Amino acid sequence: MMALERWLIELLLHFVSRDEINAFLRSPQNTATIIGCLIAVSGALLGTFLLLRGMALTSDAISHTVLLGIVVAFLLMTDVFGMAGDTSSPWLILGASLAGVGTVVLTELLYRSGLLRQDAALGLAFPLLFAIAVILVSRFAEDVHLDEDAVLVGEIGLAWANTNSHCFDNCATVTISPDHPQAKMARQCRNCRELGISPRDEGAQFVEICSNCGSYSPAQAWQAGYLQKEPLLVFFPKSITVTLVMTALSLLFVIIFYKELKLTTFDAALAKALGFRPGVMNYALMILVSLVAVGAFDAVGSILVIAFFIIPPAAAYLLTDRLAIMLLLGPLIGAAGAFFGYDLARGKFFGIIEVADIIAGVNSIFGLDLPENWDSSISASMVLMIFIIFALAWVLSPRYGLISTLIRRANQRRRFNDQVVLAHIHNHQFTDRHATELRVKTLHIHFRWTVRKMARVLARLRALGFVALVDGFAELTERGETQVHAFRSAMLEAHNMPDIE
Amino acid sequence: MKLKSMSAEDKRVWLTIAAIVLLGICFLPIGQWLFGIRYTYTVRVVALGGSILGVISGTLGCFAVLRRESLMGDALSHAALPGIAVAFLLAGRDLGLLLIGAGIASWIALRFIAALLATTRLKQDAAMGIVLASWFAGGIALLAYIQSIPDASQAGLDQFIFGQAAAIIESDVLLISGVGAAVLLALALFWKEFKLVTFDGEFAGANGFQVGLINTLLSTLIVIAIVLGLQLAGVILMVGMLIAPGIAARQWTQKLNHMVILAAVFGAFAGGVGAVISAIDADIPTGPMIIVVAFSLVLASMALAPGRGLLWSSWRRRLDSRRFARQNALRDLYRYALSHGSPGTPVPDAFIRGIGDRSAALGLAQLLSSGLVETRGDSWQLTRSGIEAARRDAHSLRLWDLYRLHADDLGLPLLAEDRHLDIRDVLPAAAVGQLEAMTGQRPN
Repeated sequence: MMALERWLIELLLHFVSRDEINAFLRSPQNTATIIGCLIAVSGALLGTFLLLRGMALTSDAISHTVLLGIVVAFLLMTDVFGMAGDTSSPWLILGASLAGVGTVVLTELLYRSGLLRQDAALGLAFPLLFAIAVILVSRFAEDVHLDEDAVLVGEIGLAWANTNSHCFDNCATVTISPDHPQAKMARQCRNCRELGISPRDEGAQFVEICSNCGSYSPAQAWQAGYLQKEPLLVFFPKSITVTLVMTALSLLFVIIFYKELKLTTFDAALAKALGFRPGVMNYALMILVSLVAVGAFDAVGSILVIAFFIIPPAAAYLLTDRLAIMLLLGPLIGAAGAFFGYDLARGKFFGIIEVADIIAGVNSIFGLDLPENWDSSISASMVLMIFIIFALAWVLSPRYGLISTLIRRANQRRRFNDQVVLAHIHNHQFTDRHATELRVKTLHIHFRWTVRKMARVLARLRALGFVALVDGFAELTERGETQVHAFRSAMLEAHNMPDIE
Repeated sequence: MKLKSMSAEDKRVWLTIAAIVLLGICFLPIGQWLFGIRYTYTVRVVALGGSILGVISGTLGCFAVLRRESLMGDALSHAALPGIAVAFLLAGRDLGLLLIGAGIASWIALRFIAALLATTRLKQDAAMGIVLASWFAGGIALLAYIQSIPDASQAGLDQFIFGQAAAIIESDVLLISGVGAAVLLALALFWKEFKLVTFDGEFAGANGFQVGLINTLLSTLIVIAIVLGLQLAGVILMVGMLIAPGIAARQWTQKLNHMVILAAVFGAFAGGVGAVISAIDADIPTGPMIIVVAFSLVLASMALAPGRGLLWSSWRRRLDSRRFARQNALRDLYRYALSHGSPGTPVPDAFIRGIGDRSAALGLAQLLSSGLVETRGDSWQLTRSGIEAARRDAHSLRLWDLYRLHADDLGLPLLAEDRHLDIRDVLPAAAVGQLEAMTGQRPN
């Protein structure tokens, strides 16, 4: 991790100065946006395949269980092995992603027992594992950073403050020993407490202790004032590294196995027949989903992360039929949501509307007195923004959108009505039932339509020049006749039937 | 209920119910003795509330499970959160109003999922995931805003996320009971309709039932059940409380009315016992504890339920394999002996073990203990009764052969062919007679 960060910073230093990097990363907004975008990109890449495989809620199960993995690994690290608890440690990430894969296996086991259905198995497995995790957190991990809030929403807004420092020049590590000139020595009474005496009393024994001994990294040494020359330091948020690695892995996975993923997603049987292994691909995907969920845990918590998996690909799915374009659009949508989401948390909606104005409006309508400064959860706002983009895609998508679907259905209904009426006239024209069937005043009865609807359809057909009214009877015009033949033969052709006429 | 007129399954269901009720009652002194729980007023109220909620959610959860909509419960409970927050912002902290807000939010989520499914090509899981995450995010964003309001941060809305038993007071229990009674009454009134649309919606539609309306009503009742449970189980885990009792009950019975009653009892057990256990220590959140208890019930049911249960079926498999081993050993001995002279010919041990390995040993041991076979040095010899049994078995096998060939011509009843059973035990005597007649016509 450290080496990777160092390499990245060295790369960046070719283009910008150290101060610029530090200033940029020290802004909570920049760091949060970068992390949000990275999670969105990796989530959308993998989520595309989850969505297409009908496994969208598997990501829900995995992200819930990842919490259990993190808690158990965390407790093992701190309580059993005595290491420092650090949620971005590689061991923890590994353990937690194993737990994620474990859920998938557990669900399969429950399902394979044949005693319950797949949805029930999923709905049973992850609440249980999550419940155990919550009990563990509230029983044993109360004093650490793994509190319930962090579980829910993560701490993307504080990610800028949790950094690794990298030193590039004047890098002196300082070790203070008791004989160092800057060592702070103090005398402490060794046996005062147990004897219940004050240090002035007789019999008090003293030890010399050094209050600031130890080794200092360059950053710590500079802060404590042990260095004359300022070291050249760059502070790099740990979460960026983790999410960057996850994004790179997801991207590599999708690029390298694009063909295999595509085939196993759309036709698992064919893939198997051709010698690919759909099962292996499936588990590889699950492992990566777990990894991304763990990587995102710090930033967005274990529940909101599923939004990053499901919603952007769903929005992309409404916009395109091509897998490659979906894989481009999904990450873009997710990243855009993360970008605008930060503003939303700080009270700006796409930079146009101020949330404060909305609250003021609500206050005046309901006679309330709510404070107008909106300062909310960043990760939740990012999800909301992604959802808003999804909603826009749903309403506006040219092919699958709500508006175009409604228009298309209205057109179909209109065309159907037209054809029904035309066919009716065609069937009864020049027959002896002509007088009962085609009288305009009673025409609506034959279709069980209202008079108004009948009048509307007839008016349209007359305007199109398909139908003429003669002495109160409906008649096909020549154009109407051609129209009937055209759609009849088209329909028969579509059903592959011989023309009866 | 007359005991004599009950079927075996009926008896089993009532026995299970009695056992669970007994277990629940026994838990009270055990809890006191083992965990040092003191049944203070608060604990009693909480346990009562938990049990009542368990009854309501267990009952309605059955329908969610049977309709394969377990995960819908998850989506709808997550979706309740923004409703709670908005209700709080508009009207302050009043449980009834908060729950109404929660219900409205879930209900909108329900309709939104339906609209997505009706107008797009997204599948149900994706639609639920989208709504679950977005509604939950909306709730979290609003809660974060509420936290920033002075005075309001103490409102304790967080309890709706993980559930908190200690916050339940007597008036809450009254509210839950009242609404719950109304929900159960509605369920009883529309029992026939709900049963029909759950098992065969198309048939219901063809018979002129308003399937859409009934479905909406049932979903609305499920939403109410979810909303009532939020205070105790929390939005994230409510799905477990909803579906676990139903899944557990499903293992014991094939009848809907039994399943619903069992689920109610299981739910009451999980809710009550879970709430009591979480009273041991303020650090144990109630919702998760209830889920753990409910899941234990599911595991126990999956293992123990007669007929379907895992222990039961593995025991049956064991019995079967013992029976097969015995029968195969008998057949092998008889065949070898016949082909080497008479049925009484001794069969070398090496031969018989060479064929069946472990199962041969198992079979021979059984034959030996029931006196069908004797050891003769290094070989095995069928006794008189052994030869008799082997002949009967061989005859049955021949009848099976004839059955396979002529069942259609003779119009015999259709059976799954199982040559390990004596055909005379499974086929009516008249049919066996017809087959016997054919053996006479064509001696082997």
